[in-house]
Amino acid sequence: MSIVVPGEHVPAQHVNLKLGPGLIQLSQGSTSSATPKSSIISTRAGSLYHSANGSKWWVESNARRYVPAPQESVIGIVTQKAGEGFRVDIGSAHPASLDGLAFEGASKRNRPNLKIGSLVYARVSLAHKDMEPELECFDAQTRKAEGFGELKSGFMVRCSLGMCRKLLDPNHFLLPLLGAKVSLEVAVGMNGRVWINSKETRHTIAISRCIEAADPDGKGMEEGEIKKFLGTLDA
Amino acid sequence: MSSRIEILNEGGFRSDGRRQYELRDITIDMSQQGTADGSAIITHGLTQVLVSVFGPREAKMRSQTLYDRANINVEVSIASFSTGERRKRSRGDKRILEMAATIKSTFEPVVQTNLYPRSQIDIFVQVLQQDGGLLQACINATMLALASAGISLLDFVSAVTGGVHSTSPMLDLTALEENDIPHVTVAVMPRTGKVTLITMETRLHVDRFEEIFKLACEAGKVIHGEMRAAIRLRTGMLISAMQSVSQNAGEKEDEQMYEY
Amino acid sequence: MRPPSPSIPEKEFVYEALKQSLRLDGRQPLELRSPRLTYGSELGYVECALGKTRVIANVDAKMVKPLPERPFEGLLTIHSEISPMASSEYELGRPSEEEITITRMLDKVLRRSDAIDKESLCILAGQRVWHLRLTLHFLSDAGNMLDCACLAGIVALKHFRRPEVEVIGDEVTVHSPSERAPVPLAIHHTPFCLTFAFFPDETTQPVLDPTLLEQRLSAGLMSVALNAQRELCVVQKMGGVPLVADGVLSVINIAVTKVKELDALVEDSLREDWKGRHVEVR
Repeated sequence: MSIVVPGEHVPAQHVNLKLGPGLIQLSQGSTSSATPKSSIISTRAGSLYHSANGSKWWVESNARRYVPAPQESVIGIVTQKAGEGFRVDIGSAHPASLDGLAFEGASKRNRPNLKIGSLVYARVSLAHKDMEPELECFDAQTRKAEGFGELKSGFMVRCSLGMCRKLLDPNHFLLPLLGAKVSLEVAVGMNGRVWINSKETRHTIAISRCIEAADPDGKGMEEGEIKKFLGTLDA
Repeated sequence: MSSRIEILNEGGFRSDGRRQYELRDITIDMSQQGTADGSAIITHGLTQVLVSVFGPREAKMRSQTLYDRANINVEVSIASFSTGERRKRSRGDKRILEMAATIKSTFEPVVQTNLYPRSQIDIFVQVLQQDGGLLQACINATMLALASAGISLLDFVSAVTGGVHSTSPMLDLTALEENDIPHVTVAVMPRTGKVTLITMETRLHVDRFEEIFKLACEAGKVIHGEMRAAIRLRTGMLISAMQSVSQNAGEKEDEQMYEY
Repeated sequence: MRPPSPSIPEKEFVYEALKQSLRLDGRQPLELRSPRLTYGSELGYVECALGKTRVIANVDAKMVKPLPERPFEGLLTIHSEISPMASSEYELGRPSEEEITITRMLDKVLRRSDAIDKESLCILAGQRVWHLRLTLHFLSDAGNMLDCACLAGIVALKHFRRPEVEVIGDEVTVHSPSERAPVPLAIHHTPFCLTFAFFPDETTQPVLDPTLLEQRLSAGLMSVALNAQRELCVVQKMGGVPLVADGVLSVINIAVTKVKELDALVEDSLREDWKGRHVEVR
């Protein structure tokens, strides 16, 4: 793993090379043949990763602004009812649209009852730079909810995008640590929003403070520190 | 005191001949002004304010509409001839904008905005003469105008200014007194006795503040009585006028019947 | 685009937590986020942070001709415009309602409360006076920018020292700081502003120093500016949820005790900073 800054050459080479976020390949014409360096440069500052066989390369970096990408699960706030569907704020540059029929068991007659201000856990079904992002609250093949839908009660914590990815990592310490102390429900959106719920208000507050404390964009506490911090909280 | 004018003389009289707790003359005119849906002119001594209320109506700018309640829009303008020194204040003056914001947030919890979703209530405040107690007059006039526009209100609001001269509190200050002594404007809701607005801008000891604050709350109730009487009178007149019209109409119908 | 208002679950959760006297950042309802004051290398440069709310205040002085109607008084002007940098809620151009409130309150708390002795800023009557410019930069808004700005402003004024001047006849000599120690401003009293947020549910007690979420969910704010000598400078409650008269007075009494703590804290931090500075005096 190494740290790259925008514009740095990356020694990525493979027959079947795939570039992830933060890397681009310059067209062959622009890099003169005199320099034998690779034509792949980084476009973001962060740490460079590659898969074991070197076929997939990407840059891991942290940000706060979400750019929608297809198949990512996000948490949105309903801001408007628009005809058959809803307009949902997912923290991206443009509001996303969510079709009223994209729910499990929804039909023309039986549409979900979402209010303005409701929270929804949804998947990005369409993300194209020239089009408004679209969301769905079910699996398009099976038409089952698969955990998506409206999030009732609980609380929503905002964190950095890097923190969201960490929380989704099964090897990350935080959620198992919290889960061992209190029973909780969590829905992690890739857009820097985490919905949490537990039986007691003070537990929910403690969880939200731990997520904020562990955020690398904030205090960036490690496991030991979090344990100590959790001890000071009334949970 | 730095002033050349005696705020309160030994006999207990103020510069305009009032006693400490005496309020100035209040005149209320709630007659129709132009095309406004509701309007009122209130005079506190030499301070005079005209308020016209339009609405609930469709908002001029669609971006201002709120999906679940009405938006209240307040615009205050101060006539340049309203003070002794002729002075033109621009519309962007922070003091005027602040006053508009104050009036707006005072009436937001009072008006039942949830009854008129996606609409706008425009309140235009025109200050005609000023001699102290400007905010008080603006709030009272807005209250009357909203009532005459027939907009649903949860409670009444009445405002009054109080001040302290060394240790003696007094009420309803003139511009002369406002310039010299600390003053507090309080708006109360007489039904519950609760306070919606308090503003004070000059240095005053906490204990003195308590005294004048309580006094102003009481005085607010007196002003409420005046305003209530004015609205009752106006409404009574309207009702009797309506009855006579309907009676006349009824008689006419009868006559027409006879003709047949 | 303005960020959307808080979602229903967030709203319900905050109200429920406040009912149990719990706040999201673990504070007590009447606890202030403890202010962090950072001083710059120059005198009169202060950065004040209340949690993630940050404001920079800077004071500078120059000599000008006094206003003809007040020949014996110096001038104090406050420059504050909230740039969109603080939060996407603010835009340049037409000021938002909150911005008007903040600018007006700053004016009332720092200027109209006569905190600075303006007559001491006079150098030569009718000819030369000091003009103090207080510039406030709002760096980020995490709630309660008003209190943070007032605190930054008053601390900057206390931290600032103007060059010593000598008047012989009509001749004015300004001594550079290396020649003679600069003199602090004559300050009558130190007002601090405290903001309380009230909520629609009447049984919920008010909270001091609201965060952004609390501020947006509140049903009314009340700001009280006062000094440690129990003198109120500004009381402002512009509409919002109505309160009983005793409630108002109890809020003011809370403010009285809080301001004493704040005053001690500021004095300590100023003394600490002054110790670390070397001002040459010959």
